[in-house]
Amino acid sequence: MRIWLVLLLVGLAGTQIWASSFREEAEDNEFAEFEDFEDEDAAGASASHDRAPVPSPSSEQPKPSAPDVKPVHDEVDDEDEGDAITEDEEDNEFEHFQDEEEFEGFDNERVVNNDKVDDKEMPKITITKVPLHLRTNWDSFYMEMLMIAGLTVYFVNFFTGRSKNQRIANAWFSTHRQILEENFTLVGDDGKMEIETPGLIKDSEHMYTLWCSGRLCCEGMLVELKLLKRQDLVAVFAQLVRPSLDQVQIRVDMTREDMDSYVFCVATKKTGLRLSKEMQDLSTFCPERKTGDKFGVPSNMCLMSEMGEASSALLDSKVIAMLNKYQDVVEFIHFSDQYSGPKQTEDSTLVKLPEVKRVLIFCFNIPMLKNKGLEESLDHMLPLMHMVFYLIDKVKRFRLGKEGKQKADKNRARVEEAFLKTTHAARAEAAAARREEKRRQEKERIMQEEDPEKQRRWEEKDMKRQMKKKAPKMKQLKVKAL
Amino acid sequence: MIGNHHQQSDPRRSERERRYKAPAVSQVNPGDDMTPDYTNILGMIFSMCGLMMRLKWCAWVALYCSCISFANSKVNDDTKQILSSFMLSISAVVMSYLQNPQPMTPPWSSVFG
Repeated sequence: MRIWLVLLLVGLAGTQIWASSFREEAEDNEFAEFEDFEDEDAAGASASHDRAPVPSPSSEQPKPSAPDVKPVHDEVDDEDEGDAITEDEEDNEFEHFQDEEEFEGFDNERVVNNDKVDDKEMPKITITKVPLHLRTNWDSFYMEMLMIAGLTVYFVNFFTGRSKNQRIANAWFSTHRQILEENFTLVGDDGKMEIETPGLIKDSEHMYTLWCSGRLCCEGMLVELKLLKRQDLVAVFAQLVRPSLDQVQIRVDMTREDMDSYVFCVATKKTGLRLSKEMQDLSTFCPERKTGDKFGVPSNMCLMSEMGEASSALLDSKVIAMLNKYQDVVEFIHFSDQYSGPKQTEDSTLVKLPEVKRVLIFCFNIPMLKNKGLEESLDHMLPLMHMVFYLIDKVKRFRLGKEGKQKADKNRARVEEAFLKTTHAARAEAAAARREEKRRQEKERIMQEEDPEKQRRWEEKDMKRQMKKKAPKMKQLKVKAL
Repeated sequence: MIGNHHQQSDPRRSERERRYKAPAVSQVNPGDDMTPDYTNILGMIFSMCGLMMRLKWCAWVALYCSCISFANSKVNDDTKQILSSFMLSISAVVMSYLQNPQPMTPPWSSVFG
């Protein structure tokens, strides 16, 4: 796949180079064409040279009417033969034309003739310049051809990439179907009233989701296949520069009572750094990234944990063995009772804490094993699915000790308090706005009632209230003045 | 090893079944892929440039942008938007060649040529 794409790229670059060299040639040819025109121009110029001296001899010669003959002949010559006749012969042969009486008022006519000549000259010039595009052959459209070729390649890649992604997704589903059906009563839900298409849902050409539900201690499990954007040629090239892998992300929504309160994450070093920056819960509860040597976590991974107790319980020998065996496959494992997704952007002013869920998130890379087919590669990662179910049950059974629980509760209370402090101003503002709105509504209601006595009483009350509000400030001022 | 654990008891519970709720479309999550939106806007800008300033390469770039936007779009996305961006970019190409049928001069030719 990659190789032929690279070949294609080379081919495209080659055609461009070829086309640009060809264009130079074409340009040369164009100049060659111009040469023809220059010849014509030269001929035209010589003709006009013959014509040009026409007025000058008439002014120089003592007899003003003598050269008048010439223009007539010249015109005839131009039209018939296109050859100039020497002046000497003319003068000798057509001497009788010099008779003044023969050509009364001919001068005027000549002026008109001269205009005619100009008229004839004009179209000649325009003809040579206007139809430039008619002469440009298809070779000069090399950029357009390149563009269309690029579009064709893009669409060919779109269809091949799309079908490859489809194939991977289907293969994943067929290999994992059995274990999923052993664990869930509902596998594959498209979210419609009646499930029309059980199985994977295509979210986009590179994203497939699968919802499973109906299992002990969890509300549901959402599997997201985040495949490479094979359908997008630009992304394919970006992939060559920065390689990445297809990923399977599994999010298990735990029921409230089946998970104790802790935040825990094992991730590859690079992903760990990203997660600790991006994820709200990780950045607040366990911003510290540690190596997991103590627990036997492979060296390419880091550990973020709120409770040491939780990490030692969750990373038991079986899980550690799996992590070591699949250290290239496991991208991260993130358990949290405070999961609220990535951090909100800072400009959005929050008045209350975002809703939190108890989730277990697993992210695995799909390894493309060399010399093995797609099915085998996916079979290779099947034990990881067993690990997911193992950990679900493990999380259900695990409870923090008394001290640990207290510490966790304290952490959560502290975070909430800090949050309330930062949003105090915003909340006060919101409360004031609410009060003001209430007062306005009340006033409106009173004003609608057509009872002047009542209105007067309400206004008095309102006035008193406002005075009361201002009163303490006045006192303070007085104190200050003293 | 790990898998053996599950054969002991059936973990399935049909009474715990929950239906899938698709995440709200209108909500923009920070982790979302924004490529289709960005390329869509870029395509709009380029086709406007192509139409207004008669830059042929702009019109072509707009066509490419709408292709990328199409390839990256979600299944649930509005197809009208993609269709309109295609229409706009194609009309930019067509209009620029109708107005001036000469071959395109690439933007770098004015720099080097």
